[in-house]
Amino acid sequence: MTAKGAATERVRVWDLPTRLSHWTIVVLFGVCWWTAETDHMEWHLMAGYGVLGAVLFRLAWGFCGGQTARFGSFVRGPSATFRYVRKLFGRGADDSPAPLGHNPLGAMSILVMLGLLLLQTLFGLFSVSVDGVFSGPLAKWVSFETGRRFTHLHAANFDLLLLVIAVHLSAIGFYRFGRKESLVPAMIHGFKSRTPSREVPYFVPWWRAAFLAAGILLCVALLVNVRW
Amino acid sequence: MSPISIGSGIRRRILLIGSVLVIGAACTAGATGLPQIIHARQNHFRMLGRIAKSLRDQVGRSHPNWRIVANDANRIERLASALPSWFPAGSGKGHGVKTRARAAIWANPQAFTLAARTLLDRARYLGQAADGHDLRALRLRTRGLGQACDSCHRRFRARGSWW
Ligand code: HEC
Ligand code: HEM
Repeated sequence: MTAKGAATERVRVWDLPTRLSHWTIVVLFGVCWWTAETDHMEWHLMAGYGVLGAVLFRLAWGFCGGQTARFGSFVRGPSATFRYVRKLFGRGADDSPAPLGHNPLGAMSILVMLGLLLLQTLFGLFSVSVDGVFSGPLAKWVSFETGRRFTHLHAANFDLLLLVIAVHLSAIGFYRFGRKESLVPAMIHGFKSRTPSREVPYFVPWWRAAFLAAGILLCVALLVNVRW
Repeated sequence: MSPISIGSGIRRRILLIGSVLVIGAACTAGATGLPQIIHARQNHFRMLGRIAKSLRDQVGRSHPNWRIVANDANRIERLASALPSWFPAGSGKGHGVKTRARAAIWANPQAFTLAARTLLDRARYLGQAADGHDLRALRLRTRGLGQACDSCHRRFRARGSWW
């Protein structure tokens, strides 16, 4: 309860692993972009492995993390999404309460973004860099020409990612300025203020995230150092 | 008019037409030469890329084939020493042929030659690593090689993007 007496309460919405993987992806995506633009390929690969790890972690966390992180809790079918959109624009009678975690539209953008990011890193693993030396670790199994073709796919998929990210940011802007609802602070500190409701999400112990992260770190490290 | 003066007039005309033809041919040859120069150098660079990838493939092995490494290092060395000659004056942008060669190459030729020289030195180190069958040196020197390519590209090769 706040001191103002307004009937709101602070609810924990996002657990630390969810927030950390989100901001890790944001920062490392920027690093990948900048290093690719400026031909710092050595750093590009490092940052790219980081993105790969963070995306794999987030995907796995979507099955064993806290309630709001789970795909099962926020991914909806088309008709539920359509009902949500109608309600968003003040139409249709949908009396289900607004979800505490991701809404159905956000769920769609998350699936698309994580999918494209995974694809981006997979293309990268087979890409041959212009210098030839800092090629992806799996480029060994393709010829120079095929590797360059993977690089072109990698570049095209990157443009697609920029587009999807632009939509994601516009949606956040729309909620902020159109509906006076700030989504960003909650992704930073993890809490939302809301009118009291019975819905309180469950969370899982931190060591689960630690084990998962360690396992993924090991897998990515093995992939990077693959020998033949 | 004397026949001699007629003859000299014809000769002069032939000379004039002849020189126009020669100059014209030279100009056309120059115009078709530029795309050839640029395509040839891009082919050279793709060859460099192919060799560098072959090296990287060897670095990823627990038992590299040292003969391949030595041969690759040698070929890069030879290409690196020829590299500056692939950029004759006037083979930059703005002549209707697609190239990423930046004007800085001709504005600062010493720095460009130095960058090519660095590549040559790095290839030489690689050759030494191959001679010594030194796996650690091979990893180190291959990275150094890639850095030599990248640092020249950062300075002298334009990036193609739509933004
Ligand atoms: C001294 C500078 C310099 C060095 C060193 C250098 N490059 Fe380049 N490279 C260039 C320039 C300039 C271009 C652009 C040529 C053009 O578009 O006409 C280029 C273009 C390329 C291209 C693209 C060719 C194409 O298809 O258009 C490849 C591949 C390439 N370089 C590979 C390498 C590799 C591999 C190395 C190191 C082993 C290397 N380069 C070292 C200056 C350099
Ligand atoms: C989300 C993560 C990533 C992003 C956003 C990203 C972005 C980019 C971009 C924008 C380019 C430039 C393409 C162009 O030439 O226009 C590029 C090139 C490249 N990327 Fe990535 N990348 C990512 C992950 C990876 C990974 C994981 C690897 C490898 C393990 C990788 C390897 C490469 C290679 C080898 C190139 C070729 C560069 C060249 O032509 O010299 N990338 N990447």
